[in-house]
Amino acid sequence: MPVEVRTGAREEIHVMAALGRAALLLSFGLIVYALVAGSLAAWKRRRRLALSAQNALLAAFGTTAVAALVLWIALERHDFSFVYVADHTSRTLPLGYRLAGLWSGQEGSLLLWLLILTGYAALAVWLNRRTRDLVVWAVPVLAGVATFFVFMLCFISSPFKTAPAPADGAGMVPSLQNPYMLAHPPLLYLGYVGLTIPFAFAMGALLSKRTDERWIVVTRRWTLAAWTFLGVGQLLGSHWAYVEIGWGGYYAWDPVENAALMPWLAATAFLHSVMIQEKRGMLKIWNMVLVALAFCLSIFGTFLTRSGVINSIHSFSQSPLGSWFLGFIVICIVFSVGLIYLRLPLLRTKTKLESLVSREATFLYNNLLLVALCLTILWGVMYPLLTEAVRGETRSVSKPYYNFFLHSFGLPLLLLMGIGPLVAWRRASLRALGKTFLIPAIVSIVTGSTLIALGYGSSIPGLLAYTFGAFVAASIALEFVRGTRARHALSGGSWPRALVELVGRNRRRYGGYIVHAAILMLAIGIAGSSAYQTVRERGLHPGQSMEVAGYTLTYQTLQTRQEANAVATRAVVDVTRGGSHVTTLHPGKNEYPVEQQVSNEVSIYHDPRNLGDLFTIADQIDPKSHTLFLKVLVKPLVNLVWGAGFLFVFGALVAMWPDAVEQRKLAERYAAGAVAA
Amino acid sequence: MIALSVAAALAVFILYTSVAGAGTPQLQPSDLAAHPQGDIMLVGTVVGAPAGDAHAAGGLHFTLKDAKGRNTVARVPVSYTGTVPDLFRTGREVVVEGSLRNGTFVAKPGTLSTKCPSKYAPAPAKKST
Repeated sequence: MPVEVRTGAREEIHVMAALGRAALLLSFGLIVYALVAGSLAAWKRRRRLALSAQNALLAAFGTTAVAALVLWIALERHDFSFVYVADHTSRTLPLGYRLAGLWSGQEGSLLLWLLILTGYAALAVWLNRRTRDLVVWAVPVLAGVATFFVFMLCFISSPFKTAPAPADGAGMVPSLQNPYMLAHPPLLYLGYVGLTIPFAFAMGALLSKRTDERWIVVTRRWTLAAWTFLGVGQLLGSHWAYVEIGWGGYYAWDPVENAALMPWLAATAFLHSVMIQEKRGMLKIWNMVLVALAFCLSIFGTFLTRSGVINSIHSFSQSPLGSWFLGFIVICIVFSVGLIYLRLPLLRTKTKLESLVSREATFLYNNLLLVALCLTILWGVMYPLLTEAVRGETRSVSKPYYNFFLHSFGLPLLLLMGIGPLVAWRRASLRALGKTFLIPAIVSIVTGSTLIALGYGSSIPGLLAYTFGAFVAASIALEFVRGTRARHALSGGSWPRALVELVGRNRRRYGGYIVHAAILMLAIGIAGSSAYQTVRERGLHPGQSMEVAGYTLTYQTLQTRQEANAVATRAVVDVTRGGSHVTTLHPGKNEYPVEQQVSNEVSIYHDPRNLGDLFTIADQIDPKSHTLFLKVLVKPLVNLVWGAGFLFVFGALVAMWPDAVEQRKLAERYAAGAVAA
Repeated sequence: MIALSVAAALAVFILYTSVAGAGTPQLQPSDLAAHPQGDIMLVGTVVGAPAGDAHAAGGLHFTLKDAKGRNTVARVPVSYTGTVPDLFRTGREVVVEGSLRNGTFVAKPGTLSTKCPSKYAPAPAKKST
């Protein structure tokens, strides 16, 4: 009987794998159909065929969701006859991490990419079904991108390979067994993949020769959403590295980290430059270049993580996928550059920059700095490959290179964040500028002088960041004060109500200011925690103490306990300040028997006095002699980095929130477009 | 104007990387013979059992071999002090910065990093259907 049961179970399992493979093959057929039929329909202007192609894209989301569901079920059921499940999970792995197994391996993460892409495509097509002329050409572009991923899943890197099931799986890397694993990768993917939508509509606009700003209006929220996901995903990844990896930092300029930062920077430039096109009809070519750059960089990011061509501390599995991705990137670059070149006559505008001191000029400076920063990072990432090709020797650049350019481009960017929104469109007079910037300038000068007087002049970049930050904070606060005052004078009522009405009626503008405030918080947190941090390390026996930046840390004892899938060893460290007990910290290590690995478990005290952290790492523990080598970092203001994330999301939500007035204007614009057509 | 400004920005960093010589050679143990001097970023796989204590005066001692390529013979002893990553062990690919002195690669304190296997790459080959 048991044999029959086992046979039955195996047959059922194979049926599941076959179902997954069939669902993916169906997705492949539907997506290829959407590409071919969609192109033909757009070219020959066949409406019914175009609708059919759109429906195929919607259906592809359904079939891809079935494939993802099959893999999720297999992960949940410990179905080790799926090679993917056996390679990435184990019986002791908690349910949450088993389900997160979908994105912990190459094949699964490709499937998640396709799932998000087809989901986004279906939603974008459905939401914009009334703007037929735009959607008609966007569908084949979306399908073209999806074709690559579904091809990879069906024929190159299938998550549905099966083999005789082992008794247990290989498990998940301990550093991935963290709650951040549930959110960080999917958020990054939502961001990366989200950049496909503005790209598809931009290329659709070029293909259909409709190069006005409608594609920008249609995709503004998509870009903003993708940009927000990418930003929050990176911040979560940084926090994950901060609390899990145990080195006391949160960003190491590693190629894989840079891979996510580059498209975010390009998208940031794009979000600003499209405002100039919307307001003044300028920068059409530049916007096309930026949207293509952001998209190509998002694909380049996945190429970096999967190819193994660049030496990264993130050792993703090396596979033949790299060359496929490289080929796809080349196709994307040739396609977008060729199309932009072909449509150059349509993209040239007669509107010129009227003055170097105007809103559009400051936005342009912002764009140049963002793109310059993005390209310098790209140069740094590519440097080992380039030096190997040119000099026959691999050389790499490290932290000093990136920090140099972060200071050179990032600090002026910070200052521009305070200047740009307050300068008038077209042309600003020097007198008006003097009046506008008087208060922010005084605030920044007072802040800088105070910091120097208090002895914080030791770090020039840190001092500049705080001085410029004070300028930006004052200019943002002034904008809110002036706006609220005007609103209050106009409609009466209470001051808080006036503020809420102000933001509600100008969501995009004030949402943008809130995001600026978040970036400012981030800059202050980064400057404080890097320029003014203190690091001490020392070997301690039980009862011994060490002093760090006013704290006294006393090592008491070692404790060991058995956890679900690990043996946890913790040092008990009492923390006092000025003779008073502050907290007890428990830095230590976890030993994972299945994975045969050890992971550092840091212990952190969040100090409300300076919004910083007392960060402890049990660098080395000798369980026999109970000696502890303790590394301690005091990082002032670091919690502003994480707090900035919440403000960033809030600001982005305000800017994205549906707006009835904007919708009405959009409808008028569509009507005008239809008449013109 | 855009093109000119971007070109100017590009020129600045190309100047920086070319003239200031920001790059550090990234070498494997078999390449060390040709680069006996200067700062080097050494990439290799740990072979044999590491010995010593990274937090003691003598430091941690281990041997690296090429992680990629066809040279399976080249070995270099490494001496290191400072934080040792959790993932450090025999068979793991590591990166360490330092210079070659009398045949031993003397690493700068705290520069040892192991590749973080963000995605698990299965070691045993399995026959799939």
